[in-house]
Amino acid sequence: MPESRFEALKLELLEGGVAPVYIARTLLELAEHYTDLEQDALAAGLSREEAARAAIEALGSERQIAAAVLARPGLREWSVRYPRVAHCVRSATTIGLIPGMPVMFCIEHRPELARWAAAVMAAATFIGAILTWLDWMIFVPA
Amino acid sequence: MSGVPELLVLRLLCNREMYGYEIVKAVRLVTGEAIGLGEGVIYPVLHWLEESGAVKAKRKAVNGRERVYYLVTTKGKKRLRHLSDEWQRVSGGVNSALGDPGGVTGNA
Repeated sequence: MPESRFEALKLELLEGGVAPVYIARTLLELAEHYTDLEQDALAAGLSREEAARAAIEALGSERQIAAAVLARPGLREWSVRYPRVAHCVRSATTIGLIPGMPVMFCIEHRPELARWAAAVMAAATFIGAILTWLDWMIFVPA
Repeated sequence: MSGVPELLVLRLLCNREMYGYEIVKAVRLVTGEAIGLGEGVIYPVLHWLEESGAVKAKRKAVNGRERVYYLVTTKGKKRLRHLSDEWQRVSGGVNSALGDPGGVTGNA
């Protein structure tokens, strides 16, 4: 089957909200089916061109296949099947992410934050030690 | 014709696991080519049956080709019984009407 035909079908299914897993499976199985049809036609004595034409004809039109897929709501992505639920989940995720992002950032950058905290602590200890040694006489007496 | 492809596919898959092209050829054979659909439309039917748990799919590499084989599940066998009963009821009614039109038209 020509690649362009697959691409058009793929786009139509994506636009229709069909789950990517079923799009991939449909394209794989159609390609295998096309190969089987073409091989059978060649074995029956048809020329390569005639075999390709017969295989495309037997497989059915792209519109027919797309319509058959789109007629099954169960094959669509859940967010297309249940748009209100998807909207609520997306909103809840966004609301949860806003306060959660700094925490996630800290968890992700634990080593850098630990180094930064250690550096601040070391600097504070060093300054504190100097101040203690000077007995807080940090200004030159008049 | 609603439900007929599902009925035929489930019936055929009760015997053994098959891939799409095999199913189409078997449908053509068992129905005496009475049902003429574009062969590509078998896949949405199979995927929908899989989605509803009536069949299970498994990928197998055969002679360098990747085949997706389907086999019927327990749920699928129940669905087949239900569809068969429904079909028998509907076809019985239609046959009865076609065989005895006088029952209706004769009294009119």
